[in-house]
Amino acid sequence: MIEWVGRKTVAGYAYLAALATLFIQAVLDLISPARQGRRETLRVLIRQILFTGVDALPVTSVIALLLGIIIVTQAGTQLPKLGAGGLVGSIIVVTVIRELGPLITAFIVVGRSGTAIATELGNMSVTREVVALRLMGIPISQFVIMPRMVGMVLSMLCLTFYFDVVAVFGGYLVADAQLTIPFSAFVDSVTRALSTTDLLMTAIKGLGFGSAVAAVCCYHGLAVRSSYTEVPQQTTRAVINSFVLCLLVDVVVTVPLYL
Amino acid sequence: MSETAISFVQVRAPLAGSTSCLHLDLRIAAGQFVALVGPSRSGKSLAIELAAGLLPPQSGKVMVLGQDWSALEEAGDGSMRLRVGTVLQQPGLLSNMTLFNNVLLPLRYHRGAMPDPQREQAAMAQLERLGLASLRDRFPAELNHGEIRRGAIARSLMLEPDVLLLDDPVAGLDADMVLVLKQYVDARRQQQPLTVVAALRSFSPFIEGADRLIVLQDGRVEADGSVESVGRTVPPALRRYAG
Repeated sequence: MIEWVGRKTVAGYAYLAALATLFIQAVLDLISPARQGRRETLRVLIRQILFTGVDALPVTSVIALLLGIIIVTQAGTQLPKLGAGGLVGSIIVVTVIRELGPLITAFIVVGRSGTAIATELGNMSVTREVVALRLMGIPISQFVIMPRMVGMVLSMLCLTFYFDVVAVFGGYLVADAQLTIPFSAFVDSVTRALSTTDLLMTAIKGLGFGSAVAAVCCYHGLAVRSSYTEVPQQTTRAVINSFVLCLLVDVVVTVPLYL
Repeated sequence: MSETAISFVQVRAPLAGSTSCLHLDLRIAAGQFVALVGPSRSGKSLAIELAAGLLPPQSGKVMVLGQDWSALEEAGDGSMRLRVGTVLQQPGLLSNMTLFNNVLLPLRYHRGAMPDPQREQAAMAQLERLGLASLRDRFPAELNHGEIRRGAIARSLMLEPDVLLLDDPVAGLDADMVLVLKQYVDARRQQQPLTVVAALRSFSPFIEGADRLIVLQDGRVEADGSVESVGRTVPPALRRYAG
């Protein structure tokens, strides 16, 4: 049993080290002064931002709006019973902006783009496109991994803030329609509860989740060796590990700050 | 003595799916067209992958254009890749790009200063020579094996390499296309010094004009010489591989 725990722990550290190496290599490629292939890499980066960020706007809008409506409905009906009806804004800030916004955005990105990246890279490995790139002198880290990582991190950051704004708007719709809280009072309640630290935390989480999801999905995509049957297996691992790693990052960021 | 393009110095490498090893100790002169033939699992593809620097040998060393692949890989120097064009059994055309963009990619990536029209003209010229011009906007999934292979060969020559390594170049090609490919490679060799190493499952018109024919079996060189001499000296069981 102890041996099993020891082996799993070592494997866990090795996995995290591999993800960190992948991420650091992508950062080095991003800041590298080499001009070779910059235009082509930029093309891949723009495609990634369009797919992960822009194309995700409709589904993000719907989920954020519904979440805002649900939270304010619950808060607006329960808090007055406790004599805390004025805390609707705080509830929105604490639940959506601090926690659920970044997390649910990360889950949306994992479901849409993380799986796409893992599948795409897995298929590229099986059909030896990855080897073909290497043979053409095109570094995988620069042409394949870096633009996907940067695209995902930037998209995640922007989507997280977008999610927060739409969720707050959803909350306002309920507040206005059911709780008859005027717009100005609602905005005032939210802004009073919102601190610079909250916005900073949202940004840090967006960047952290984006980096974690991108590294995990690229890693598992490239872990496919020679069979198409490995592609769904690695994609599933990428999804599960992305969720776990996002929650881990969340704990690491949140606990020291708010505890 | 002519310059050496590729040398396998006492190379030993394990053959996949077999207990035997590939043993190679040979040099290929610059500008030569060398054909490797032999039955499946004889080590032809492994020899190509070793020459392409995709695998390190278990022992010995593989030198290409005077450079040791393993030293280059350790130093992270990718510039050698531009001097060696390689097409493997699975040619690896990028599935999210059209045939034209696949052929154009090496120039787009490595010749950033080249004007777009010039690059596109160069890519189109290669496609035309290989009878692929009408398929330029198709994706790899819409092409047959022979078309994919020809597209990959065109792509591998876009950077005008000094060495061309081909693994099973005629697989999936009809007899006419084999001749088209042969004429294409011959024309490229006349335009510029180009060392060609092609691995084939059996003798083909593609290698009729080869300078050297090497017959492999179970990882060992069974015959090595001109196409005519190998035909005479090769063991009877391998004669059909040597034409």
